[in-house]
Amino acid sequence: MLNITRRQFLTYVGAAGGSSALLKTSLALGLTPESAYEGPVNIKPAAKGEKPTALILGAGIAGLATALELEQAGYECTILEASFRPGGRNLTVRHGDKIDEMGRPQICNFDKQDNLFFNCGPARIPGHHRRILHYCRTLNVPLQIKANSSKMAYFHDEKSLGGKPKRIIEYHTDVRGLMSELLWKAADNNQYDQFLSEEDVAKLMSFSKTYGDLTENGKYIGSERAGSTTDRMLDFPVPNVPIELKAMLDSSFWYGGLLGAEQFDWCEPLMEPVGGMDAVVKGFLRKLKTKPVLNAQVKKIFNTDNGVEVTYEQGGSFKTIKADYCFNNIPAYFMAGIENNFDGTYQKALNSIKRGHLFKIAYQMKERFWERDGIYGGISYTTGPIGQIWYPSHDINAQKGILLGAYTWDGKATAMFEALSHEDRLKVGAANAEKIHPGYSKYIENGISIPWGRMNHQMGCGMRLDKDVWDDYFPLLQKPEGRHFMIGDQISHHSGWQEGALASSEQALQQLNKLVELNANKKGASYAR
Amino acid sequence: MRVKTLMFSLLMASLGHSVQAKETPTPAGLDYCTVCHGSQLMGNVNIGAPRLTDLSSWYVERQLQNFKLGKRGSHPADKTGGEMMVMVGKLSDEQISEIANWVTQTVSTKPKPMIEGDIHLGKEQYQSCASCHGENGEGNKALGAPKLNGLNDWYLVTQLNHFRQGYRGTDESDIYGQQMKAASNVVLSEEDAANLATYIYQLK
Repeated sequence: MLNITRRQFLTYVGAAGGSSALLKTSLALGLTPESAYEGPVNIKPAAKGEKPTALILGAGIAGLATALELEQAGYECTILEASFRPGGRNLTVRHGDKIDEMGRPQICNFDKQDNLFFNCGPARIPGHHRRILHYCRTLNVPLQIKANSSKMAYFHDEKSLGGKPKRIIEYHTDVRGLMSELLWKAADNNQYDQFLSEEDVAKLMSFSKTYGDLTENGKYIGSERAGSTTDRMLDFPVPNVPIELKAMLDSSFWYGGLLGAEQFDWCEPLMEPVGGMDAVVKGFLRKLKTKPVLNAQVKKIFNTDNGVEVTYEQGGSFKTIKADYCFNNIPAYFMAGIENNFDGTYQKALNSIKRGHLFKIAYQMKERFWERDGIYGGISYTTGPIGQIWYPSHDINAQKGILLGAYTWDGKATAMFEALSHEDRLKVGAANAEKIHPGYSKYIENGISIPWGRMNHQMGCGMRLDKDVWDDYFPLLQKPEGRHFMIGDQISHHSGWQEGALASSEQALQQLNKLVELNANKKGASYAR
Repeated sequence: MRVKTLMFSLLMASLGHSVQAKETPTPAGLDYCTVCHGSQLMGNVNIGAPRLTDLSSWYVERQLQNFKLGKRGSHPADKTGGEMMVMVGKLSDEQISEIANWVTQTVSTKPKPMIEGDIHLGKEQYQSCASCHGENGEGNKALGAPKLNGLNDWYLVTQLNHFRQGYRGTDESDIYGQQMKAASNVVLSEEDAANLATYIYQLK
C-alpha cells in the first residue's frame, strides 16, 4: 500500500464507495463509536405469577429511573426517601418552597410566577447525554434550548486590566489575534522549516492571518469581529483597542471564559426542561406505580441469605421491609452511620467517597437589566468568590428574572459562603457582582442560597474520589454486595450530572441481570461475591 | 423466585442477624441529628460526627450550650465544630435538655478502631489524664470531666489536636474547655494524640 495517512485513505474510500462504505470502514478502524445508545437495560422480566421485590433507597434521579425500569419488568418496588420531597439534587425552587439547609432553613420568596424559578442542582443537558434525553422524550418532558454561553457576557479578573470586566467576544478575538501573531512571526522566522515545506509554511502564515484577523505584515491591531467603538450601522467600524499579550498572559481568563463553552459537557447547544429541571422528577412520578415513601430515614441495611432487609424510621416509628434486591442511592458517606452487615472492604470503599462542596446563589431581579446590555443567556466568569453569573435564556423580555448570582467550585470560596448566614451570603454575592454590573444590587428583590455541602440528606454535591480510590474501590462499588447495589452519580465518572446517575443505574441493572442469572443457575443458592 | 421460597427466605432472614433489643425513636424535629451522627447516634467518621451514645447528659448539655453561645466551634480552623455551631444556634434550652436526655437513651455498639497508635506510650501519657477522667476513662461529673471510653478514636485525636492547637478551649468563658486546654499541654504532637487515643479507646 502506498504511504498515505489514515485520513487520506478514508477520503479515497468515501469517494469510491459513498458514505456507507466510509462509515463501515471507519468502524473497522475504530474512529467512530460502534454502537449508539439503544435505551435502558432490558431487565429479565419476572416469570409468570412471580412478583420479585426491590427496595430503592433515595428518590433522586438514579433511584427513580431504577424503580421505573424494575416496575416495567414486573418488580414490585418500594422507594424510601429521607427528605420531605423526592428528586434529590434535582431541585427546582419557586415561590414558597422550603430550602432544607442544615441549621439554616430558608423559604423561597420569589414572586409567584411560572417563569420565576431556579434550578439549584442540575440545570443543563448537552445533546450527547443520551440517557437523560431518552427519559425526557419517553416521560414527555418538553425541552428548550438553554444558552449556556453568551459572547456578550463578561470575563472579570480582579488582577487583570485594572479589575475592569471585558466582553467575552473581545477576549476571544484578542486571544486568537495574539496567538495568531505569534504563529505568523515564528513562521516568518523560519521556525517550521525543518518539518514543513516552503509551500506549507506559506499556507500556515495565510491561515494565521485569517484565523487571527492579522494585517498584511502579520500584526494584530484589534478586529471588528469583536465589535466596534462606533455605531456599525451608520459608520465604518473602529475596533476596540486590543489587550496586550503580557496582559493576556497575566490574566486567568484562559480557563473560565475562554474554555467554558469548549468542554464536551457544555458544548452548544444545551437544553433545559421548560419550566424547571424538576419536570424530569415529575415525569418519573407520573409514570411510576409506586410513589416514594417520604420522610423515611434508613437506619439499617442487612443482606440476608435470599434478600435484603431494611429498617427505616418515619415519624418516630421504625419499620422493617424485606425485599429480594436493594438499590441504594444514599450518599455513600452516610453509610458509616447506617447499621449494616457489609463486608469490611466494601464499607471502606463506601467511606472513600468524599463530600463535594458546591455553592449557588440565585437572586430575583426586578428588571432584566442584562438584556439591555445585550446579554440573553450565557455566563459571565469572574475570579472573585462568586465564580459565575448565569443569565436566564428563557422568558426573554419578561419584567423580572431569576439570575444565578454565584456558582463556586473553589473550596475556599465555598467554605467562606457556607459559614455565612443566608443574608450575608446574598450581600457578599451582590458586592462582588457590582464589579461586573455596576448598580446590580439595586435590582435585587430577594434571593436564595444553596450550599450543597450543607443541604439536609445530601450534604454534598460532586462527590470526590482520590486517585487511588478509582483503582482500588470504584470497581468494587459497581458490583453488588450480596443483593445490595450502590447507585447514584457517586457511582459514575460523572458526579454532579443526571447522566452520571442514570449511567450508574444502567450499570447496576446490568449487574442485576447477571446476578439473577447466577441465582437461577444455582437454583436459589446464595450469591457469594 | 417461588412464593414458598420467598416465604421461607423471609422467615430465615429474620433469624439471620440479631435484631437490637431496643431502638430509641428520634424525637420529633431532631432527625437532623441522625443525618450526620447516624442511626442511634452511632457516629459517622465520613462527616466527622462522633458517636454520642454513652456520653453523660450533663456533658452533652454543656457542649450544646457551648456551641450555641459560640464558646465552641467558632474558631475558623474547627470546621466540624463550625458546622455543629450552626445546627445548635436556634435550639431552645428545653430542646437542648431534650437532646441531652435522648443521647443517654440511644443504643449503639462501640465503634471499631480506626487509629493505630502506640498503646504503651499512650498509657504512660494517660496517667496525667486519669486524675480527672478516671482510670478507665469513665469520667467525673464533679470535676466536669466527660466519659471518654465510648468515643471514636478518630474523634479523640481530632479534639486533642484542637485543644493542642488552640481551636478549642480558648474562649475565656469556657471554664472546663480552658482547663482541658491547659491539661493538653502533655500532648505535643499528632503522634502523641494518636497514641493517647489508641489507649483511651480500649478502656472499658
